[in-house]
Amino acid sequence: MRRLAVSLLLIVTALQGTFASAATLTAEFVDARGKPLADAVLTLRGGAQPAAGELKADMDQRNQQFAPRVLAVRSGTQIRFPNSDQIRHQVYSFSTPKRFELRLYGGTPSDPVLFDKPGVVVLGCNVHDWMLGYVYVTDDGWFGVSDAKGTLTLDQVPAGHYAVTLWHPQAPDMQPVSGGDIDIPAGGLRQRFSIAVQPNADAAPAAPPSSAFGDAFHKAAHE
Amino acid sequence: MKVRLSFQARIASVLIMLLLIVVFAVFLAVKAATQDAVRKQAQAQLEVGTRVFEGLLEMRGKRLRDAVQLLSTDFGFRDAVASADSATIRSVLLNHGARINASDMFLLGMDGTVMASTVAQIPEGSPFPYIQALRDLKGKNQSMLIVPLQGQPHLLVESAVMAPLPIARVVMGFSMDGDLAQELRSLSGLQVSFLSIVHQQPGQMISTQPDPLFDSLRSVMMNPPGDEAQMTEHQNQSFLSKTLRLGSVSDSDGEVVALLQSPLDQAMQAFAPLDKTLFWITVVALAGSLLGTLLLARSLSRPVSALANAARRIGEGDYTTPVVMERSDELGLLAGAINLMQSGIAEREVQLAHNALHDPLTGLPNRALVMERLGSAVSSQRPVALLYLGIDNFRGISSSIGLEGVEQLLRLISEQLKLPLRPGDTVARLSDNEFLLLVHNAETDSAVAVADRLQRLLVKPQRIGEQDIAMDACIGIAAYPADGDSAAELLRRASIARQDASQLPGRLQVYVEGRDVAHQRQISLIRDLRQAPRNGELALHYQPKLDIRNGRVTQAEALLRWQHPQFGSVSPAEFIVLAERTGSIQLLTNWVIEEALRQLAEWARRGLVLQLSVNISADDLVDSNLADRVSALLKLHRVPAEQLIFEITESAIMREPEQSLKVLNRLREFGISLSVDDFGTGYSSLAHLKRLPVQELKIDQSFVRDLDETSEDAVIVRSTIEMSHNLGLKVVAEGVEYEHSLRLLEHWQCDTAQGYLISRPLNAVAFEAWIARSQLPPRMTMH
Repeated sequence: MRRLAVSLLLIVTALQGTFASAATLTAEFVDARGKPLADAVLTLRGGAQPAAGELKADMDQRNQQFAPRVLAVRSGTQIRFPNSDQIRHQVYSFSTPKRFELRLYGGTPSDPVLFDKPGVVVLGCNVHDWMLGYVYVTDDGWFGVSDAKGTLTLDQVPAGHYAVTLWHPQAPDMQPVSGGDIDIPAGGLRQRFSIAVQPNADAAPAAPPSSAFGDAFHKAAHE
Repeated sequence: MKVRLSFQARIASVLIMLLLIVVFAVFLAVKAATQDAVRKQAQAQLEVGTRVFEGLLEMRGKRLRDAVQLLSTDFGFRDAVASADSATIRSVLLNHGARINASDMFLLGMDGTVMASTVAQIPEGSPFPYIQALRDLKGKNQSMLIVPLQGQPHLLVESAVMAPLPIARVVMGFSMDGDLAQELRSLSGLQVSFLSIVHQQPGQMISTQPDPLFDSLRSVMMNPPGDEAQMTEHQNQSFLSKTLRLGSVSDSDGEVVALLQSPLDQAMQAFAPLDKTLFWITVVALAGSLLGTLLLARSLSRPVSALANAARRIGEGDYTTPVVMERSDELGLLAGAINLMQSGIAEREVQLAHNALHDPLTGLPNRALVMERLGSAVSSQRPVALLYLGIDNFRGISSSIGLEGVEQLLRLISEQLKLPLRPGDTVARLSDNEFLLLVHNAETDSAVAVADRLQRLLVKPQRIGEQDIAMDACIGIAAYPADGDSAAELLRRASIARQDASQLPGRLQVYVEGRDVAHQRQISLIRDLRQAPRNGELALHYQPKLDIRNGRVTQAEALLRWQHPQFGSVSPAEFIVLAERTGSIQLLTNWVIEEALRQLAEWARRGLVLQLSVNISADDLVDSNLADRVSALLKLHRVPAEQLIFEITESAIMREPEQSLKVLNRLREFGISLSVDDFGTGYSSLAHLKRLPVQELKIDQSFVRDLDETSEDAVIVRSTIEMSHNLGLKVVAEGVEYEHSLRLLEHWQCDTAQGYLISRPLNAVAFEAWIARSQLPPRMTMH
């Protein structure tokens, strides 16, 4: 594993709140050039574990894309793969933490898929090569995925000391990296994380490009 | 015929040669053009074919890549690959590879490690040798890699295995076999060969060419000449070849070379019918030109030989047959010119013939023509008389009337000569002053009558200019058959008769038989006389002269004798006349004087002293050098001048009296005595003699020989002696043969006697002996 220069800049902001009470962690993700980084995963280990309940999550397929693109779940989570498109999909994964295949289907399949081992599960659709989704399975109690602005907000995190793990689909070798330890005060913490990401090269094939013939056909069909 | 053939042959050969040159040039041009075209065509074919080839290969690569990509997205395949069970993976590779006819299959990890392989050479776990080249393909926008694999070229295409992110690469190899080559060949139209080369070692040859060419192909491919198209030869087959390096991975990995060839021979074959056509065109043109030549040469040679015949006819003297040629071209012109020439030659030949046989001045026949006519008369045995007419005083006449006068005179004469002749008779001019008349059917007598008439005509004076000219015409006559039986003989005899005639008062002489023999002898003598002194044929004989008064011999006359080698002894009377006529008399006189002096000197040495008479001719008397010469000789031989007497005839002195007198006076001055010989035969008188420096007078023997007291001669002799004595001259009597004659002479007091009575002429030895004998008694006893 390459040693990447990960600069972890902690901007500790004292927030109001008691130690025992829950605090809010606001993390901002940027890449090496300082641009906001979406779809970044952050997990926190340490402190009090949240209560283990029935863990469920959905990985939708919308507009022939996985939605969300990156889904972080806790180990043992049952994930459903509803299909919001009018067409059918055949979702699969050959990733080691979870190999599965959902035969070509429409709507919501009856059985959810159990993700019980931590790791990165890359999702694909066998009939739509460009569809690419990631399920980040973690044992950590606290985790989240940054939004389009590169911001992640975790509420109800007990103040305390945590080890931070960061991941991004374009992280080197798709391996999680350490984000260092943080102390989350009761008043909450706002922190910026920088993840060196590789350019989106050699990744999943893009959606089929529009061809002249296709355009003509499309045009003809809609007139 | 020979000429015509060679003429035809020449025209034909020239034409055919020209034709062959043209055909050859055309052939060369066509050959060059076709070769060029073939080459260009082959070049174009090669270029197009190369593009097609490259396109096809690229297309194939794409197709294969697409196939591999499609394959790699097969779910089961990906499932198997994701399983990471190498045995399974290999079986799947084989299975799926078989679907697209791949011959070699590899699965590579993302880092390029071989995860599964169907090729033993490239084992699992080893780094894939072409991984970098495969990675570079994308950058070069290529879809496949061509590598030498197991000695054979292979197409390698790869595809990532997506799950859905790339988890591995699948590489499939397709061997480039004969089928591919054939396919490429059928589409590109080129001969296609592949060869893999690893470490300079060639792999298996894959080619659409036949096996026997492989070695040659291989050598070309092992050392590719370059990117440009090249001419190569394989087993005598020509190709335009282009070498392509299809894949050159790295030096150690080797390379694949493709050879694309456009066959030239086949393309050339397409032009073979053209060669054949050219050949037949040549044959037909040759035949045509031969035929044309034949016709042309004929149309030329026929009239030419007709003209040649005409020329030969003219050469043979046929001037009447014209050349008929209905042509308006140059040959027609030539024929016209030949006709003109023919008539011109005929005209001039008539003129020439006339000139050749006629005298240009008088228009009379010449010698040739008259001889011909005479010859024809003789050969046909017709009697004919020849009158040979000469004008003796022609030279004198011509000098007095000039050239024009002579011509006028000759024309006059020629007219007059014709007068007494009958038609058919001929007058011819032989030379300046000689004419020959042929009188047919005439005997000698009638010829004489004609001659007489002619002489009478010619003797009449003719008025030429200011002068009256009288001609002295001598005529000699010979007649056939009497005087000869050939033209030449008759002419010669007539000429002799004419010469004889000139000596006669009548100036007319008929040929006397034998005259021509005498004439021949004369010619020989004249010829030999000049050589006689040198050849020692001459001798002097001496006749004693008796002094009548005292009976002693103190004088002698030297007489010339000629012993001719052929005719023997020749009489002086004969040869002296000839010598005088031909001008060689001086030669003889000189010899006589010298010999006489030599003899006198010799005798003087032996005590014999004599006075010697020597005869001098008229020609000698006009020679002013005579006196000096004699004087020199006298001194040379030391003989006193008094011992020498020169005897001169009256007529000799009378010819050039003044000159003679000068010479005689000079001689006399030396002391030489002078004697007048043959006195009484000429017309000279004693009075005349008085003026001459002479001391002696010799009475001609005709008066002395038969001298007796009663004859007329006696009167003459006696009076001559008396008168001579009165003039102070001594008198010698010649021809004394009888005793009584001598006694009469003694009685008449003649001084000296000479003759057979005393002695005949004797040679030097005999004379000396005779003197010795007769002088012993101091006085001769004569009576």
